[in-house]
Amino acid sequence: MPKIRKTKVEFEGRIEEREVIVEEEHVETWPRGATLRLVGKPTPRVDGVARVSGRALYTHDVQLPRMLIGRFLRSPHPHARIKAVDSAKAEALPGVALVWHRYHPAPIATLEGREIFPEEVAYEGAEVAFVAARDDRTAEDALALINVTYELLPFAFDLESATAEDAPKVLLDEGNWVSREGDVYQRGDVGTGLGDADEVVELTFTTPIASHCCLETHGSAASWEGDQVTVWHSTQSVFGTRSSVADALGIPMDKVRVISDYIGGGFGSKWGAEPYTLMAILAARETRRPVKAVLGREEEHLAAGYRPGSWQRVRLGAREDGTLTLIEHDAKVATGAFGGGGPVIGGPSKDLYACPNVRTVVRTSRTNADHARAFRAPGYVEGTFALEGAMDALAHKLGMDPLTLRMKNYAEMSPSRGGPYTFKGLRQAYEMGAERFGWSRAVPTDLPNGQGPWRRGRGIASQIWGGGGGPPANAIVRLLPDGTAELSVGVQDIGTGTKTVLTQVAAEELGLPLEAVRCIIGDTLPAPYGPGSGGSVTLASTTPAVRSACREVLRQVIALAAVMLGLEDASVDDFDVERGDIVYRKDPDRRLAFARVTAKMGDYTIVAKGARGPNPDDKAVNTFGAHFAEVAVNVETGQLRVERIVAVHDIGRVVNPLTATSQVYGGVMMGVGYATTEERIIDPATGLQLTANLEDYKVPLVTDTPAIEVLFVDVADTEANSVGSKGLGEPPIIPVAAAIANAVFDAVGVRVTDLPITPDRLLALLSRASNAGFSKEVE
Amino acid sequence: MAMHPFAYANANSLEEAAANLDGETRPLAGGTDLVALMKDGLVAPKRLVNLKTVPGLAGVVAHADGLHIGALTTLSNLASNPELQERRDLAALVEALEESATPQLRHTATIGGNLLQWPRCWYFRNPQVPCWRKGGRRCFAFQGENKYHTIFGGGPCFAPHPSDPSVALMALDASVLVVGPQDRDHRNGFRVVPLAEFFVLPRRDHEWADGYHPVTLLETDEIVAAVVVPQAADGARSAFVKVMERGAWDFALVSAAVSLTMDGNRVAASRVVLGGVAPIPWRANQAEAALRGERVSEDGVARAVRAAVADARPLGHNEYKVALAKQALAQAFRALA
Ligand SMILES: Cc1cc2nc3c(=O)[nH]c(=O)nc-3n(C[C@H](O)[C@H](O)[C@H](O)COP(=O)(O)OP(=O)(O)OC[C@H]3O[C@@H](n4cnc5c(N)ncnc54)[C@H](O)[C@@H]3O)c2cc1C
Repeated sequence: MPKIRKTKVEFEGRIEEREVIVEEEHVETWPRGATLRLVGKPTPRVDGVARVSGRALYTHDVQLPRMLIGRFLRSPHPHARIKAVDSAKAEALPGVALVWHRYHPAPIATLEGREIFPEEVAYEGAEVAFVAARDDRTAEDALALINVTYELLPFAFDLESATAEDAPKVLLDEGNWVSREGDVYQRGDVGTGLGDADEVVELTFTTPIASHCCLETHGSAASWEGDQVTVWHSTQSVFGTRSSVADALGIPMDKVRVISDYIGGGFGSKWGAEPYTLMAILAARETRRPVKAVLGREEEHLAAGYRPGSWQRVRLGAREDGTLTLIEHDAKVATGAFGGGGPVIGGPSKDLYACPNVRTVVRTSRTNADHARAFRAPGYVEGTFALEGAMDALAHKLGMDPLTLRMKNYAEMSPSRGGPYTFKGLRQAYEMGAERFGWSRAVPTDLPNGQGPWRRGRGIASQIWGGGGGPPANAIVRLLPDGTAELSVGVQDIGTGTKTVLTQVAAEELGLPLEAVRCIIGDTLPAPYGPGSGGSVTLASTTPAVRSACREVLRQVIALAAVMLGLEDASVDDFDVERGDIVYRKDPDRRLAFARVTAKMGDYTIVAKGARGPNPDDKAVNTFGAHFAEVAVNVETGQLRVERIVAVHDIGRVVNPLTATSQVYGGVMMGVGYATTEERIIDPATGLQLTANLEDYKVPLVTDTPAIEVLFVDVADTEANSVGSKGLGEPPIIPVAAAIANAVFDAVGVRVTDLPITPDRLLALLSRASNAGFSKEVE
Repeated sequence: MAMHPFAYANANSLEEAAANLDGETRPLAGGTDLVALMKDGLVAPKRLVNLKTVPGLAGVVAHADGLHIGALTTLSNLASNPELQERRDLAALVEALEESATPQLRHTATIGGNLLQWPRCWYFRNPQVPCWRKGGRRCFAFQGENKYHTIFGGGPCFAPHPSDPSVALMALDASVLVVGPQDRDHRNGFRVVPLAEFFVLPRRDHEWADGYHPVTLLETDEIVAAVVVPQAADGARSAFVKVMERGAWDFALVSAAVSLTMDGNRVAASRVVLGGVAPIPWRANQAEAALRGERVSEDGVARAVRAAVADARPLGHNEYKVALAKQALAQAFRALA
């Protein structure tokens, strides 16, 4: 029976207490060291062939009979007032089905309380008009025929210009500060921390605006049948999309079906209905034809979110022996015109180390840009770069090994929550990583210091993140008469391998081979609720629900088997499932093959539902990791080569080492890009984005890929949930930039506090250092 | 931005192609630059004449005056040409080709198109920005975001020339063979232009009908038929160095090409060219002068390198290119030492 309970869930650095409906969990946790058949084994993706052969259907691939293509006209100005829109010529163009804009609005003009076509456009790329036409070319031609009269307004393109004294207003009717005092976290007292310190370091860091660069750009397609709409949406949350579409349209949820079978990357930027979604849905209703609206690459940079740039100041105080007495972390971010709350940049400073006196502040301002969005470990990537850079500087100042300093301040208990962790494997991660990396050994000698322009260095950084997941999450399992099973979960596979791990867990629990379980996700119609794939929660939220549904299926099968074995009076608990047989525990000779039972089912289908149980009270569930980086720096050209990253993560039980490892590869590469090449550049004079393409916005390439070695602590977190696993979506990007910057310091003695670490920055730092005589061997 | 409609014709001969050219008809080679500009609405020719169908325009042929590289030779075919691969005097060209763009692009991009490509400047390429190079009033990079821009020869446009091969070709003293109307200074319809003259610094009076300021002196009714690399002196060697922000698919922050002919252990002649630093491949005359008669010693190189950047005029965000240019040059010399 469902019950209402309170449970704590951590999501992207914020801990929420949720009242959720949970159902009794009947499932015993897999103990540490349990012998499992499929779980824990490297398992190729169940949909791998579909993906690489092109059969996988992404939103971009949706092609429906008579489908129209929707496109937006977007503001070419960072801030303007729309005085007039003349769309007569566009409407008259053959093949154009409709044109909507401020003066000819769609039947629904707002989304989540914001006008879709406002009078005041506040960023380059803001939606100005929408066209639906028979094909892409016609839609483009139509856009070119729309004449818009803009009154240009002053703009503030970055944090500094938006927060200056006489800053131009980002929005005419709002102040530029979203939160001037900031989000403050405090424990202990800064003054005490300073007073107790023998050494203090204070550093200022900046991090760039980073674009998600999803391979599949944002997009939706919509098709109506009567009063029911089917929406294909490239999303990290089919259920979130369903409710946001139902809300926007003011129709019941059961009229909305959302499909997101395959997603070409989201990284935090793809959630509910967006303007293109709503316009596609409304245009489809209006024209009685399916409509698809997907963004182009440039639009993806302009209007699909970004990781905000940050300014950060970190002050650390420590006693001579390295004991931290103070962490003070002050951050400012600019989150775009609509000023969403800032990311939790202070998160790592709050929780990574045991320190009695901690104060973190995040101030948020508006800028004339699209709204910032979550981007893979929002806040933690930025905050870890600063905190772990400062820790490295502190270690240097104290003359301590950076790893020793971290061990010295190891937090056995959750510093911000006070209580224990269900499991914390960071110490093991440090130890495993140091061992594999050879941290205690001297720098490898094949590229000797002082010979040629290249210098080698090594650095470490660590990481904490949530990823414990929690309720609500459901699963439905259908056992079919031929002994195969269908598993249905309301989640989506954003590339992490979700479909594969769900299949593994179901097959494990049911005692079936992997091939006998078909997993259906990415569709709200057949599935019970599943969470959005953000905050690294998917696996830890859903796999326990899958286990519980499978348990329920087994109970029903066992009940049938008991009858067939003439053991009507035995209790369900008297049976085990062993290698495809149902076995009477008191007399193991009395057994019956699973398939024999299902064969008896005829046309009957066993259906069972399972639910995620609550999280443990008063214990924190977190993931941890440590990265060890080795870099080579060319002191003449300022070029940086990341040569090797050893990444060790504690994510509890590793369900699929193969997909987990590739998740770490992806996270590390994204971190390498963030650290070394990626940067959104906006022209101060025009407010235009200069890097709205993949030529100028430089993601790293194969040639920039270091040797990446992935290790897992792999100890089941048995108190976290019945599977003993935690999430891995975000952790692997978190410590990358800090580990690299620390390695650069080790290599050439300059501390890079501004990302990305490009040749111009490194050369400037190197020449400053050599002028100051710090680093004699450098030219 | 919508691509404008255009007519398209395959040319059967150079003469036919040239006869059809005018300000509104552009020659199409690999299309990796031209089509991208058209898609962004930056240029809108009424007609394209496809040069790929002209017989004999691709390939490398040895003539008395040197190697003739057909303008339609793709970068990848050129880079893998056995003769080029073997000759140490041409090493700079092979290295430059191999570091250009990406394998996919090199299979399509031609050497002629490469010399004639437009700047990659992010202001120039943004259809929203009316910059000087495309007929506007001023350069937006001059006081704007100019970390990738010029340190030599800038103004009114400060965008660097993007081509890598041209830097190497200039160091090899190459010329282009230009086909045009009989009535101008073309002998038999051809004229030969040394690359050093072919590339022109931005000038207000050097302007096309559409307001664009071209990067070469090629007229809109002319075609490049071939690149001619003269026979180098015995023992000549060359090297090319490119500094990028990532490992591939990146335009040069700075590049350097050096070709050297030695007389014993002293430099008899050299050509020193820098890329990524000026609106055209930038010949470092002072460096060449500093080297003449010198050994390629550490001191000699240091003097040459200093001389090469003596006149540098960095902008607000590209001071580092001065240091980079020195280092790239020094590396090129080291490769030849
Ligand atoms: C993503 C990207 C990365 C790149 N990276 C590099 C790099 O690292 N290094 C580098 O050097 N280049 C680089 N390039 C540029 C690339 O090499 C050029 O685009 C290419 O060489 C142009 O050749 P094409 O045959 O495609 O020319 P087209 O695009 O066909 O033509 C270019 C121009 O030249 C004209 N034209 C072409 N051939 C002739 C001819 N024979 N006579 C007269 N006019 C002619 C055309 O009308 C047009 O104006 C890059 C390009 C891209 C898109």
